Amino acid sequence: MSKIKKKRVGFVLDMTPLVDITFLLLTFFMFTAKFKSESENQNKVEIKRPQTQSDTAKLADKDLVMIKIGVDSVVKDTAFYVSMINEQDIVSLRAAMRKAKFPEVDEKTTVYKIKDTVWLGTIIEKCRFVNNKAVFSIDADRRLRYRWVELAMNELRKKYATSFNFVTEKKTGM
Amino acid sequence: MAGGGELGGGKKQRRGKQGKRKTKKRLGFHLDMTPLVDITFLLLTFFMLTTSMITPQTMEMNVPPEIEVKIEVKESELLTIRVREDGKLFYNMGKDAPEKITIKGLRRVVVDQNIAIPNRCIVVLKGSGEAPYGLVVQILDELNAAEPEIIEGLKRIGINERKRKFTVAPYEAKDAEELVGL
Repeated sequence: MSKIKKKRVGFVLDMTPLVDITFLLLTFFMFTAKFKSESENQNKVEIKRPQTQSDTAKLADKDLVMIKIGVDSVVKDTAFYVSMINEQDIVSLRAAMRKAKFPEVDEKTTVYKIKDTVWLGTIIEKCRFVNNKAVFSIDADRRLRYRWVELAMNELRKKYATSFNFVTEKKTGM
Repeated sequence: MAGGGELGGGKKQRRGKQGKRKTKKRLGFHLDMTPLVDITFLLLTFFMLTTSMITPQTMEMNVPPEIEVKIEVKESELLTIRVREDGKLFYNMGKDAPEKITIKGLRRVVVDQNIAIPNRCIVVLKGSGEAPYGLVVQILDELNAAEPEIIEGLKRIGINERKRKFTVAPYEAKDAEELVGL
C-alpha cells in the first residue's frame, strides 16, 4: 500500500466556466427578449395567425402600418384595429385622426378600432399621408371569414396601396 | 486601502502596537460566487421562459390597382380556383366545368398548366366571403410554393424567364351558381 488515501472533507469546484456560459446565455436572452408594448396589451384580441411554409420574409420593424382583424373576446364583435409603429407616426396620425373627427381619440390612442369601411379607407389614406413609406400588413385570425380580409384589401386597393403583406406563422413540422 | 486582495500591502502600513498583530500574506483569495450564480440563473430562466422564439413572418401580396381600362385576356388561358363557403376547392381552365380538388393536388395542376401555357397562364383565386381566411392563405402559400417548380419546369423547356404570377378576384354570385350541386 504505497498510495495514501486522502480524506476529502470538502472540495472546491471551479465555477468560472459555468458562470461564463450562464452570463453569455443571460445576455443573449436579455437582448433578444422583446416585451409587449402597452398598446398591444390594450386590446383584448387574440389572433391565431395562418400557418405557411414558403414565406421567409420577416415583418418590417419600421414604417409599418398594422391592420389587425380579430374578434374582441369581451364584446364579441369583429373589427379592424389599425396602428402604426414609428413614434413620430403615432403622434402625427393621432393629430390627423382628430382633425378628421374620428370618435374617441385621446392623448393615449395608438390603436384605432374601426368597424366600417369608410373609416378604414380614411385611416389608410391618413397613414399614407403621415408616412409615405408606410408598409401595410394585414394580421388576421385564420378562423375569420375571408370577407373581412377582402374588405381590407379592397380599401387598400382604392387608396393605391397595392402592395402589402399578410402576417403569417411558420408551420412547424412538415 | 484595506482591500482583501492586496498583496504584501501589510508590510509597510503596520499600525498600532508593533508585532502584536500578525499580518497574513494572502497570495490568492476566494470569493464566494454562489449568490451571483444564483441570481444569474434566476434571471436566465426568467428570460428564457419569457422570450418567444416564433417571430411572425409575412407573405407578400400584390393586387392590381383600380383602373378603368379593362384588360382583355384569353379565357382559355385562365385558370380559376374557387373556394366555396364550406371550404371546398374547385378549379377550371377557361370555360371548362369546375372540378373538385384538394390543396395537395392543386400544386400539380398549377405547375402543369403554367408549363403547358408558358408565361401566359393566369391563375385567379376567387375566395368566397364565408370561407375561412386561413384556408385562403393556405392556398396562396401553395401557389407560392409552386413557383420554384414552375421556374424549373420552364427552364427545362428553354424559357429562363417567369413573368406572370397569380391574382385574386372577387367571388361573385355567378361563381357560386356554377358550383351548385358539385
